[in-house]
Amino acid sequence: MKTIKLKRTFKEGLDNFRRNGWLSFATVSVLAISLYVISVTIILGISANMVLKNVQDKINVSVYFNSDVTESRILEIKDKLVGYQEIQSIDYVSKEQALAQFRKIGEKNVSISQALDEIDDNPLLSALVIKAKNPSQYDLITKAISNSNFSAEISRIDYEENKAAIDRLSSVIKLVEEVGLTLGIIFVFIGVLITFNAIRLTMYAHKHEFEIMRLVGASNIYIRMPFVFEGIFYGTVAAFVVMICLFVTSKFLAPLTRGSISGGDIVSFYFSHFFIIFGGLLISGIFLGTLSGIIAIRRYLKV
Amino acid sequence: MPILKFENVSKIYPGKFMALEDINLVIEGGEFLSIVGHSGSGKSTLLKLIYAEEQVSGGHVYFNNRAIDSINQKHLPYYRRNIGTVFQDFKLLPQKTAFENVAYALEVSDETQEEINELVPEILDIVGMADKAHKYPRQLSGGEQQKICLARALVRKPLIIIADEPTGNLDPTATWEIIQLLLKINSMGTTVVLATHNKDIVDKLNRRVIALDGGKVIRDIKKGRYAI
Ligand SMILES: Nc1ncnc2c1ncn2[C@@H]1O[C@H](COP(=O)(O)OP(=O)(O)OP(=O)(O)O)[C@@H](O)[C@H]1O
Ligand SMILES: [Mg+2]
Repeated sequence: MKTIKLKRTFKEGLDNFRRNGWLSFATVSVLAISLYVISVTIILGISANMVLKNVQDKINVSVYFNSDVTESRILEIKDKLVGYQEIQSIDYVSKEQALAQFRKIGEKNVSISQALDEIDDNPLLSALVIKAKNPSQYDLITKAISNSNFSAEISRIDYEENKAAIDRLSSVIKLVEEVGLTLGIIFVFIGVLITFNAIRLTMYAHKHEFEIMRLVGASNIYIRMPFVFEGIFYGTVAAFVVMICLFVTSKFLAPLTRGSISGGDIVSFYFSHFFIIFGGLLISGIFLGTLSGIIAIRRYLKV
Repeated sequence: MPILKFENVSKIYPGKFMALEDINLVIEGGEFLSIVGHSGSGKSTLLKLIYAEEQVSGGHVYFNNRAIDSINQKHLPYYRRNIGTVFQDFKLLPQKTAFENVAYALEVSDETQEEINELVPEILDIVGMADKAHKYPRQLSGGEQQKICLARALVRKPLIIIADEPTGNLDPTATWEIIQLLLKINSMGTTVVLATHNKDIVDKLNRRVIALDGGKVIRDIKKGRYAI
């Protein structure tokens, strides 16, 4: 296509966009709302997953051994467990190390250190701290350990309490993702429909003009391109609006996510992914707009 | 060589309405032809077949020996650039100024901006609308709008001007201004086909007149007067 055609149809499209006033405003709003809901869903999903991963990294199973089990016996068991492919890492924490850790925590608490001073015997137990490759495998691992031939030497296994919390978190995240996705799809659908309709309405208002244009010798491309550009403008403006809204939203959500996302909060996530998000929005906005423009005008080019 | 030729042309509108029946007509280049007839006799239909707003139901219309019905939908706009059309209802684009309306005809045929800036004021001057160039159609009187419409039809320097009751809504003075312009264009070599109800015009023109009745040509007179 000649550049002069492109330039002229671009200008026509821009003029239409400006002249449409509140119809343009309404279209951009709905398009923006749709894109916003989708992006919030995606961002929520991503950050929820980051939170989950972070929490998961902190999960482990502690296997405490009876106080009469020797260190060499525990290390022997450790060597045996290393062979399991579900296990990512095993750390041995002796009762002395545990005590030292406990003292450190208790440093500021006078009553704890006093209590510890009063007992000369170390009341703590030696333990193996196990991390699984996948959080869903903790169940399997704890079962395997409690059914093993050394189960008699084990005092207790600490896992159950964490498990409930983690399960709850996973199911919440799953729910967020499902609800968000459903809402997102519904809103995309509504968005397409409304953009399409807005463009069709403009076209309806321009119906006689198409006829005039055809009759004075305008080719279809010359009539159609302004509407495609109009759609592109809708999409672009909507993308800008959504970027601003997303920034405000992430600022608002930032305190909730700070510390639970590795490498900062959701605002820094927003900025580090700025161009991906913006590009995605722009492309989807333009795509929605263009598609509506192309489909909507077909029926009016018959003269 | 005839610029337009109708060969056994008939036009049947949906609902089996026969608007034109067995029309045979030859229009030479440079002619000034008036078409008269009662309301509903098929004048507009005949003209629409020329600029292909409607398609023939039978027979052929030839433009410079080329059958119009063989032109496909996609190429119609290019064909129409050979023809200047003046509509009874002006058909100006309401969102464009007089200047822009005239310029539009050039824009769609990819003329350069320099050419537009040169040709449009020139033609607006010819139709006497130079001072109203930047007014919108709604700010113009009927006669003024018709002159803009005429300017748009002329600006591409077409081989033929089709005017369907271009003076229908105008007072006698405005009517004569339009007719004078058409005569002037015709004297420069452009073929003019004019459909009209106006007896005065036809009588004063004293050019070829075709009378239609019930979709048939009932009279074709070289130097005619208005009679149906
Ligand atoms: N699109 C259409 N569909 C069906 N019938 C039509 C259509 N256009 C015109 N007709 C009919 O065809 C006949 C001829 O119409 P046409 O417009 O050619 O008449 P005309 O001679 O131009 O009349 P007028 O002087 O009132 O403009 C009329 O009876 C009209 O009702
Ligand atoms: Mg008519």
